[in-house]
Order: sequence, then C-alpha cells, then structure tokens
Amino acid sequence: MALLEVKNLRKSFKVLDPLGRNSGRLVAVDNVSFTINAGETLGLVGESGCGKSTTGKLILQLLKPDQGQIYYAGTELTGLSAAKMRPWRRRMQMIFQDPFSSLNPRMTIGAILSEPLIIHRLVPARQMRDRVIELLEKVGLSAEHEQRYPHEFSGGQRQRIGIARALAVEPELIIADEPVSALDLSVQAQVLNLLKQLREEQQLSYLFIAHDLAVIEHVSDRIAVMYLGNIVELCAASELYKNPRHPYTEALLNAVPVPDPHHARPLALTGEIPSPVNPPGGCHFHPRCPYADHRCRQQAPALETITGDHQVACHHSDQVGRYLVRG
Amino acid sequence: MPPRLSVANLKSYFFTRNGLLKAVDGVSFHIEQGETLALVGESGCGKSMTALSILRLLPEPGRIVGGEIHLDGRDLLHLPEIEIRRIRGNDISMIFQEPMTSLNPVLKIGDQIAEVLRLHQGLSRREARAHATQSLVQVGISDPQQRLGDYPHQLSGGQRQRVMIAMALACDPKLLIADEPTTALDVTIQAQIMDLLLKLKQDRRMATLLITHDLGIVASNADRVAIMYAGQIIELGSVDLVFSNPLHPYTRGLLQCVPRIGEKNSLATITGQLPDLTKNHEGCLFASRCSCLCDNGQQQRPALKEVAENHLVRCWRQS
Repeated sequence: MALLEVKNLRKSFKVLDPLGRNSGRLVAVDNVSFTINAGETLGLVGESGCGKSTTGKLILQLLKPDQGQIYYAGTELTGLSAAKMRPWRRRMQMIFQDPFSSLNPRMTIGAILSEPLIIHRLVPARQMRDRVIELLEKVGLSAEHEQRYPHEFSGGQRQRIGIARALAVEPELIIADEPVSALDLSVQAQVLNLLKQLREEQQLSYLFIAHDLAVIEHVSDRIAVMYLGNIVELCAASELYKNPRHPYTEALLNAVPVPDPHHARPLALTGEIPSPVNPPGGCHFHPRCPYADHRCRQQAPALETITGDHQVACHHSDQVGRYLVRG
Repeated sequence: MPPRLSVANLKSYFFTRNGLLKAVDGVSFHIEQGETLALVGESGCGKSMTALSILRLLPEPGRIVGGEIHLDGRDLLHLPEIEIRRIRGNDISMIFQEPMTSLNPVLKIGDQIAEVLRLHQGLSRREARAHATQSLVQVGISDPQQRLGDYPHQLSGGQRQRVMIAMALACDPKLLIADEPTTALDVTIQAQIMDLLLKLKQDRRMATLLITHDLGIVASNADRVAIMYAGQIIELGSVDLVFSNPLHPYTRGLLQCVPRIGEKNSLATITGQLPDLTKNHEGCLFASRCSCLCDNGQQQRPALKEVAENHLVRCWRQS
C-alpha cells in the first residue's frame, strides 16, 4: 500500500478584477493523481503557476480541494475535521522555501524546536532540552545554538533549523517546497546532502517540490512534471532524463544551464507561460510545442501509461526526443 | 587603444556601525569591445557592489575609497556628478534582477523608454516614441504599438525583462551591466532572455559585464569569467580555461557543487562559512575553508598572479 495516494485532485480559485468583481476561475490543480511509497522521494517540477505548491498545500489540508481524494496510509484525509486531522498532521511535515520568513524572529531556536513537541505532547518537560539538542545535532548544528535567535544565523543554517523543526515530531512524509532555491550554490549542496542523509537514517518519504530540474533529478526516485495544473509526465527519475516523452519535459531538460562551455546551445522554447485563468484549449502546451498539430489544438491528451511506470499526456509522445541536446 | 572598460584596484568599503566592511577589496579587470565578462560568486562576495561602483551608485554607507575605473580611457571616478549622469543609461546601462521593482509602476512602458531617449539623445516626443517602438521590436515583443500603452503590471515577468533590456539598450550603450538578469524568471523564459542578450551583444559589439551565481549561464554566455570571493577576484580567465582547468580550490568546489542531470552521487560541498568581512584578515581569505593547508595562507595574502596566458589565480599553491 502506498504511503500517500492522491486521486483526481482539483482545486480552483476565484479571480477578482481590480474592482472586486468576480472575473472567472483559475484552475490551479486539475485532475492530479499520484502515489508516494514509504521511503520514496517523488519530485514535483514545473514553472511558476503550474500548481506544484498548491498540490503540496492540498495534501496537508491547508487548502480544501474542490474534487478528489487524498489517502494517507489507506485512510481518507479529505473531509476530516481539524481535530481529527491533527494526529495525521504530525506524520506529515513541511519545509518551506524562505528560511527568513518561516522562523519566528522573536523565538529562540530552542523555543522554535520545542513548540511542536509541546503541541503534540511528545516529550516531557524534563527531557525537552535533550531532545532539542539532539535535533540540532541531527541537522549539523550544535547545543550552543539553542539560545540564539533566527537573525543570528545564515540562510543555510536557518534552513537547517526549518528541517529540524519538521523532524521534531518524527514525521514519515516531508513536503519540501523549494527548500534550496533561496540558497547559495555551496549551501544548496550541503542542504541537499543533509536531506538525502536524513532520508536514509529515518526512512523518510519526500514530496520534493522545485522548479529546478537538475535539483529534482538529483534527489528524486520518481518525477512528476506539471504544466498549467496538469501532470504531463510521470516516471522514474533516470527514465525521465534518458527518455523524456513529453515535449515540455524535453524543453525543461534543454533549459537547464550546463556548466560546460562546449555544451551545445539548445533551441529555447518559444512563447510565454499562458495565464492559468484562461489556458489555451486542447492540449495546454500546444502554443509553445514544436510537435503540435491540429489535433493538439482541439483535444487535450489524457495521462496514459506508455511503458511500465512511464505515464505521459501527449498525442506525439513517440516523436519526442528530436530536439533534446545531450551533454 | 585602451580597453572599453578597465577597473584597477577598486576598493569600495562600507562604513557600518559594526565597523569597516571591505565589500570590494582591490578588484581589477578589463572588458574589451564586444566581449562578455562574467562576474561570479555567492551572496555577499561583492559582485553587485563592484557593478554599482562602476556607475558610482553605491548605497549608503558605502564609499569608493580607492582604485581607478576607465571607460574608453575616460576616468569615471573623478568626473563631476553632472557628467557621470550623462554616462548612466547612455554609455553604460544596467539591467537588474527584478524587473517589477526597477520599472516605474505608474508610468506606461512607452513613456519610460521614451524618457531615456529624450533625456540622453534630445529626441522629440514623436521621434522618441518611434524609436521606442523600434526597440521593443528588437527585443522580440509582439504588438509593440499596443505594448507602449501598457503599464508594467500588465506584462509577464519575461516581457518586463524584455522591456528593461529595450530601455537599457535604447541609447546604444558601450557597456551593458546585467546583474542576475534571469534569476527571477522561469527556466524556459531564462533561456529566451539569454539568447536575446547574446544576439543583441553580437549585433552591437557591446561590452557586457554579466553578474550571476549560475555557472551554467556563464559557460554558455561569457567569453571570460572572474570568480569573486569575499570582495576579491580569486580566479580570472577565459571560460574555456577556467571550466576545463579550475585552479583555485574555491572555483573547483563551486563547480563540484552544481547538481548535474544524470549524476546521482552525493554533491561535493565547501565546508565552513564566509569570513566576517568586518574583521581584519591577514592571510588568504579562503584558508579556513581550504583543504590545501599551505603554511603561507595563514600569514600572507596571495596575489592574483598570471599562471598561464589569460588565466590568473590568487593561491599560494599556484605560485
């Protein structure tokens, strides 16, 4: 049984014009389904407005879906009351993008880390300090940091504190929303290694949300690529870069800047990312797609299994790969 | 002939309440006509402050305390304020990271581009407008007539950055400074903007100072690269040489930190932290994070030395 199962999830938001009048609906997540197994990392990749962060919030029940179900270890979470949801919340934790705004500036690190332990009544007061120090050491900080405030730390250290806070309640699933995109390169590598090491030590599962395909590819077992609310391709990480079958995946792979001056310059994708309020008809990707024909303009392709665990939503998946530039 | 831009021993210090912060500490480089030099480094290494020093736009409490900056042989640091204003936006233009905060939200796009032209080139309102339409066409904006009447919030992030580029290039600058021009953009849009900058540079033989933290962008867009660390250039050379044979341990470390598609092994990291730049450091600034453990590094600062043709490095082991 999968640890997490998401079925036909849909979420839309009301859009208001500047005068506060209703001016349509933005479908942020549309018919999204996937599973995460215990100990597995699923990467969710896509550009701004593709619905990847909304998906993370829906799983944690921070937003209520319009349609669809979320099952955690076989139990349906959708529709649970706040009180009934609380014990499940301990088992799923979130790490945020911005290490500067996600820590309370008026709380010491010790207070930040003990708060979830108090709320969930996990550790008696006598043992609190020991547990906090243990958490700090687990993420590469030390006991001396306990009495300090967030502003005394660098971005990378703050992200470590955010990770320690998520780990405090001993979760099974961590939803990491762009956890390294605000960090410098050398710090990004440290945090990615830490997340991988913690996964081995604690048998964690991750939903790893990011816009950077190189980062996603590095940490994930499987990857789901999202575009304008839909999953357009879902398969094993190694399969995705060896054998992409959706033109958008191919374009994303080409767009990753390669630190090698002799790497061929790939053709850039044309056009802008359309507004999700009024997405193009047919396949949402057709106006930017080099493979598109009349069928793509009329009929949206469904996400279908092509081989083994490889799912793709494209009418021309057999042709994709023509424009891929390899290192 | 002097190079288009030369910067010699530039020192920009910040006089903060916590003491003197040496943000730029003896930086020297030059850029030829038609050449792109990338200035690379992590947050706080002084790359943006170097750029702002060239335009003499350092924020308070920063001050240029030493060095020389020449544009086509003309000394920029000793020009009166009125003269440097004629140079900004005219001979030297800058593109910033966040196009939304660098465009005026209450002025139409057309008026913002026309303002540059009327101010620097003395064009009439009508001429400026015609010229603005032209510049939007050059940066690949469809429906330019229509867009001139738009406000910045009506455009997407990629379009805003195109408008910024159109404004920066309206007066045909000799030097373009692009400070993280694509960091705020999505990856597929980033590729479009970098392609556009490369094409415009080639068309105009413009010198470009490209500031970025992304080594992938450097590899495909720059001719030479300067790696900065703690206010100093620690390696400088042609992109080919620096990427194929990085000599400074920091450069090597940075290149190994980049996650590459198809490689699953754990990433190399650079241990330790940046030195506190408000403290006085005698030795090599990278010594505390370096694996080489050379004795010299503790006491004396190595100089930036040419170790091969077009390849300079600041490291005791290489000299």
